[in-house]
Amino acid sequence: MNILFLLLFLLSSAALALREPAAFLPALMDGAERALRLSASLCAVYAVWLGVLQIAKDARLTDGLARLLRPLTSRLLGVKDEEALRHAAVNFSANLLGAGGAATPAGVAAMRRLDALSGGRRAQAVLFAVNCAGLQLIPVTAVALRERLGAAAPYDVILPVFLASAAALAFSLVLLRLLPFGRRKD
Amino acid sequence: MSALILPLLFIVVILIAACKKVRVYDSFCRGAKESVPLVLSLFPYLAAMLALASLFEESGLSALLARALSPAFSFLGIPEEIAGLVLVKPFSGSASAAVLADICARFGADSYIARCAAAVYASGETVFYLSAVYYAGLSRRPPAFALAVAAASNLLAVVAACFFCRIF
Repeated sequence: MNILFLLLFLLSSAALALREPAAFLPALMDGAERALRLSASLCAVYAVWLGVLQIAKDARLTDGLARLLRPLTSRLLGVKDEEALRHAAVNFSANLLGAGGAATPAGVAAMRRLDALSGGRRAQAVLFAVNCAGLQLIPVTAVALRERLGAAAPYDVILPVFLASAAALAFSLVLLRLLPFGRRKD
Repeated sequence: MSALILPLLFIVVILIAACKKVRVYDSFCRGAKESVPLVLSLFPYLAAMLALASLFEESGLSALLARALSPAFSFLGIPEEIAGLVLVKPFSGSASAAVLADICARFGADSYIARCAAAVYASGETVFYLSAVYYAGLSRRPPAFALAVAAASNLLAVVAACFFCRIF
């Protein structure tokens, strides 16, 4: 990550300095400002979702969900830690429902919990891969966007999207299972 | 129809909680309180990623890369009109939503290009943004193999999305 950042930063800076040096600082500030705006909206999203999740947790609903999904989560992640599996269960189901706002805080909590566990490194990679594949029952944003822009059949992408995500997910899970890295010295 | 899922979910959760004598207001506030430290811990990573992304975009390198990659894209069956979307998607969800809207407006929301773009947009997450969020503040840095696997499967999702859009 550090090497990628360094390389891209130097290359882009040099290219921009040659083309239009005055645009250099505004470009950086623009990016940082977008990060600030994004953080503000993330904070709002997380506040709502974490609030509702806490209610679900206090009603012991997430425990039920975790028990229901336990065969799946424990097999996928290969760890036994109850708390990590509970967060992962919430993360997976929120992803399927297309509720990214609920998926992210649960996913981050699971990542932090896995950080201290042995075998956590591979589990983290699996959790990350599942989230990157973004498998969802209905791709809400894409459908809504096309609907708003006047598509006659905005729902006709659901099947291609589902198949493509499922293929990508299967591919990365197989890769993570077959490849030896990530298992050593955990 | 699908718009009903979330309201129903919230209502069911709150009703069940109330039946179990959970103090829902207190619970909600306790949960919402966690959002601030979470976002605070994410912000530095987001700032670094998005500043770099903006620099990359402004420098003209991303357009250059899109042009350089378009032969490879057409070989994989990806229409060259959506090359920009494929390159933006790993970095920013909001930016790729903007590109998707632009493609729908230019080619018509029902065109093959727009369907492809929508499928590409929806069939994978923003890998580098997610890696910044998920691995932020952990003792372990994002392992290269996890990033490589995620990026490779995202590319596979793009190719598959274009392919399935052609046959369905």
